[in-house]
Amino acid sequence: MGFVSAAVAWFADAANWSGPGGIPQRLLEHVLVSGLAMIIALAIVLPLGLWIGHRRRGAAVAVGLAGLGRAVPTLAAIAIVLPITAAYDPQLGFKLYPVVLAMILLAAPPILVNAYTGIVEVDPDLVEAARGMGMTGPQVLGRVELPLALPVVIGGIRSATVQVIATATLGSIFGFGGLGRFLIDGIANHDTGQIFGGVVLVAALALVAEAGLAGLQRVLAPARGG
Amino acid sequence: MRIRRMLALGASTLVLFSACATGGGSSTSPSSSAGSPVASSSGSQTSSASATATAAPPTVKIGSAGFYEVKIVAEIYAEALEAKGYKVDRVGIGLGTRDVTNPALESGQIDLEPEYIGSELAAYDPGKQTGDPQENLTNLQAVLATKGGGITVLPFSPAADQNAFVVRPETASQFNLKTLSDTTAVQDQLKWGLATDCKTNPVCAAALKSAYGLQPKNVTYLSACDTPMAQALLSKTIDVGELCSTQPDISKNGWTVLQDDKQTQPADNIAPLVRNDLLAKMPDQDAFEAVLNAVSAKLTTAALTQLNAAFTFDNKDVNDIAAGWLKDNGLDH
Repeated sequence: MGFVSAAVAWFADAANWSGPGGIPQRLLEHVLVSGLAMIIALAIVLPLGLWIGHRRRGAAVAVGLAGLGRAVPTLAAIAIVLPITAAYDPQLGFKLYPVVLAMILLAAPPILVNAYTGIVEVDPDLVEAARGMGMTGPQVLGRVELPLALPVVIGGIRSATVQVIATATLGSIFGFGGLGRFLIDGIANHDTGQIFGGVVLVAALALVAEAGLAGLQRVLAPARGG
Repeated sequence: MRIRRMLALGASTLVLFSACATGGGSSTSPSSSAGSPVASSSGSQTSSASATATAAPPTVKIGSAGFYEVKIVAEIYAEALEAKGYKVDRVGIGLGTRDVTNPALESGQIDLEPEYIGSELAAYDPGKQTGDPQENLTNLQAVLATKGGGITVLPFSPAADQNAFVVRPETASQFNLKTLSDTTAVQDQLKWGLATDCKTNPVCAAALKSAYGLQPKNVTYLSACDTPMAQALLSKTIDVGELCSTQPDISKNGWTVLQDDKQTQPADNIAPLVRNDLLAKMPDQDAFEAVLNAVSAKLTTAALTQLNAAFTFDNKDVNDIAAGWLKDNGLDH
């Protein structure tokens, strides 16, 4: 259990809580890169998934593409993108953009598939009834399909968020900050406390994000009686 | 039924494994019996004494670590020996890390192995390695004299694969950089790429500070001698990168290696390590050593970089690279 006490000592060391390499700054970097990737992924993929589900068309292509996205290893995605983005911006193009792009690629499949599935699985009778009441397409999507599909849609976002937070650690291999720094530096310096401390921080951040989104899910889509 | 079938499968697997084990054991004996028996278990003293009288030189079992550079070098020594009529067994080439190669050499599973003298010394005596190759060789010889019945370190080659601080040529001309000392005055104008373990590695941060007064502020920590470091230097994310002196990226991109003028980095020149019992069995020990020394003398850091480039960028075969180099240097006959 040496690694537990080593991690406790690491957390207790005040020097690890301040300055450019301190826990608060690394945590902020990690939240920012994960959040940025999630916002961009949501902006692109969520409307696409909802629309495909609503039209019930193009599903094969979308789900196929999502599967393809899942098949690309994140590390490979970073390595492929890096020389291109670094040519445009030697600093951010090396340390930041490749991670963000790889995280978008990672987040897209679960968001897309869940958005599509959630909408498609809404009872067709309800959709028919809504149309019969004279609702337009967007109204059907916004007032009938989306509210009913919301638990499934948010479920996809939750799973994407956890994956992104855990995987954004890879960016540290290419000089990005974030919590992965503790893992990479800890391994290089044989510092067990730092490694395990980093692991705890990544896991804690993922759990907090997961709990937050679960709370959001409960507020937006409360369990219906009957 | 299912249990019985599982048992049958387990039994047949066991048979297969034991067959492999005996197969592996028996395959080594013909190779050593070609010369004189070099049984790892039996006393090497008696066998060497009896073998000295015989005329034919024993088979040389060559080994090496697992990465391509040292495999090429091991193959070069192997082919150079074959060119002079020695019998060579390549079974140990590419064995693995020092955790594997050092015991293999000490136990006589291999007789000859190219090694990096600074790192090999550090493996036995951490902190003893210096920037002076002659000192490393002397200290390594002192350590190995008592290992595995005695191991000899032959003269080291000018070729060294060690930490090198590398800049793009335009950076070198802009700041007039030739040595690491030249960077001290302009260190804050440069973006540094240092090894991930730099802060705790005594030959990195501490050595740079004490020898050169270097305390770089703008640092990106990346894995040294690795692709991301080379990529960072290429895309100008960093201006000074910690690479390895024989890394093919250096010659490919025409980069400048800054001279480590205060000798802070451990001198990792290549030298062949040979078991004394093998040397004793050689009918003409000087002739045998001369073959190896001729190779070591011709091998340079620049040559090694080109051999690495042939492997990495041109995807050439290790044997062909070695044969080509020996031919170019007139050591193939």
